[in-house]
Amino acid sequence: MDQSWMRRWPSALVVLALLLSASGCTGGAAQPTSWTGLTVVGERLYAADLEQVVALNVADGSPLWTFPDDPEGEKRGVFHVTPAVGGGCVIVASQVPGGGFFSQPRDIVWALDADNGSILWHFDGAAGQYVEGGAISGGVFVIGNSDGNIYALDVESGALRWVFETGHRVWATPLIVSDIVYIGSMDRRLYALDLSDGEVRWVFYAEGAFASTPVLRDDTLYIGAFDDRLYAVDALMGTERWRFPGENWFWGGPVVYDHTVYATDVNGNVYAVDAETGEQIWHKPLDVPVRAGPALTGDGSRLFVGGQNGTLYALDTADGFMPWSRESEGQALSTPVVSGPVVYDAQINGPYRIRALYVDNGREVWAYPPVVEGQE
Amino acid sequence: MIDSIAYPLANLLLLFYNFLGHQTVIAIAALTILIRLLILPLTLGQQKSARKMQELQPKIAKLQKKYGKDKERLTQEQMKLYKEAGINPMGGCLPLLIQFPIMFGLYRAIMYCVPTTPLQLFQFSQHIYKWLPGVVGLVPLQSAFLGMDLGRPPTMAQWWSYALPALVLATSWLQQKLLTPPAAGDDQSQSGMMNQQMQIMMPLMFGLMSLQFATGLSVYFIISNLIGIAQFYLVRVNRGGEGTRASSSSD
Repeated sequence: MDQSWMRRWPSALVVLALLLSASGCTGGAAQPTSWTGLTVVGERLYAADLEQVVALNVADGSPLWTFPDDPEGEKRGVFHVTPAVGGGCVIVASQVPGGGFFSQPRDIVWALDADNGSILWHFDGAAGQYVEGGAISGGVFVIGNSDGNIYALDVESGALRWVFETGHRVWATPLIVSDIVYIGSMDRRLYALDLSDGEVRWVFYAEGAFASTPVLRDDTLYIGAFDDRLYAVDALMGTERWRFPGENWFWGGPVVYDHTVYATDVNGNVYAVDAETGEQIWHKPLDVPVRAGPALTGDGSRLFVGGQNGTLYALDTADGFMPWSRESEGQALSTPVVSGPVVYDAQINGPYRIRALYVDNGREVWAYPPVVEGQE
Repeated sequence: MIDSIAYPLANLLLLFYNFLGHQTVIAIAALTILIRLLILPLTLGQQKSARKMQELQPKIAKLQKKYGKDKERLTQEQMKLYKEAGINPMGGCLPLLIQFPIMFGLYRAIMYCVPTTPLQLFQFSQHIYKWLPGVVGLVPLQSAFLGMDLGRPPTMAQWWSYALPALVLATSWLQQKLLTPPAAGDDQSQSGMMNQQMQIMMPLMFGLMSLQFATGLSVYFIISNLIGIAQFYLVRVNRGGEGTRASSSSD
């Protein structure tokens, strides 16, 4: 055996460890650690698109503004969360990776001018990653964080209004209805908090973590959990009305139309459940892992579900029939957004980040960034 | 590849968590003990090899006196001596090398069970053995331990979390020192130099990794090292005080 190698191999192991440390084994910014989030308001689509936040014209996908303009130079971090839009601003969050052994990543909430993307304020008071976006209501922006806290910020100034501590990471977007914030935590609890001061109205306990946003119909909240169940919870009292068993975790938020709740589990099962009784109406297995919840057309006739294989599936709400599906080379892990005759879905690790498809037939309207011929 | 190790380990971690009071650190400790038991034949072999090496030290010292100026000849004679005694001078490294895939698998298992990024968690959602009793609804495991987050590296905000890499460094060094055959005098042979480097480099490497990786992995390192140290002394007691380091003249 070569003598010099014999002498040096322990040193080589140290170098290898250093390289592994620096190469993303710790979840650096080189690879996506989450998914792109989309929001459509009027004629604009806002996306927290990894390196940048972009505002696109929904008609043709042309960029209206980007933040930051120079991601390499400005180093604002990696943007993942679904943008919250309200009060003339777009609120997103990013993680700025740390560098070296003693430098930690910083997690920052950014409020941007909805018209031009300029910074209005930022908040860096949380100690963990923001995984899902926040919600705006009554001049307050509420967002959960991996440090286990729920933060309420003033939309105008970014000032901290209140903080509520839960027992685990908070990876769910809250639902705000009038003066109540409904938000689930990984501590297996769904909280109803007062929007003004964060005081607890009630707490609902499940047997698994909550990572999705509840949906409200009349006085009932519907939300899935990591105990493989979809729950109906009394929105006033926080008591359980029924539970529906799935095959695996319910991660994406359910949607509701008329008397039916539609939900997906991570095994790729799409369920239509009676909103009153919790009885299954139909069930459609897609045979592909599904992270996000479904999106519904305005008239409630069609559902859209994104799969880990990058395919967007269209299902008829009446019986789960699949009129079309549209493949991609990426991963569709975000909840699609439907606006009028078009459905928008975001992709990671694919040839493009966002695409717009016609609801009726799945024909592509546009893709962003446009795929250059020969580079796909 | 690593996931074929990580998924079973992650599910074992869930099982231990379920049966050991929903305490993540205790579950990691239980898993560490299991892993140490599985590699026990290797580590015992390492100790045996080290003891034999120590027994050869007087002969090696003689060779050094005789061939001290001719490094190549010295190495050849030493290798001959090792061969006659049935010792592989690099045998001491084998348990450490075998631990690497287990270590990376365990690291990933911890990151699946105490995830910091949603993609990790989503990936693991498809690989939970639902037939194991009580594992449904367990993930993510409780990540808080003494104010630290077991899924994240040490942070300045929790300055005391840097005690873990320090403990990893110290216990790795002690274990390495105990299990590495002592050098005979000014042993300049290949294996002698390599062993000397190992005593410094391996603990340093584990310490640096603990600075960058989730603190849950540091818990594994520390417990594993303590078990290794305890094992060394237990074997020595069973052999009536005849240990590798007990009468080392080089210390």
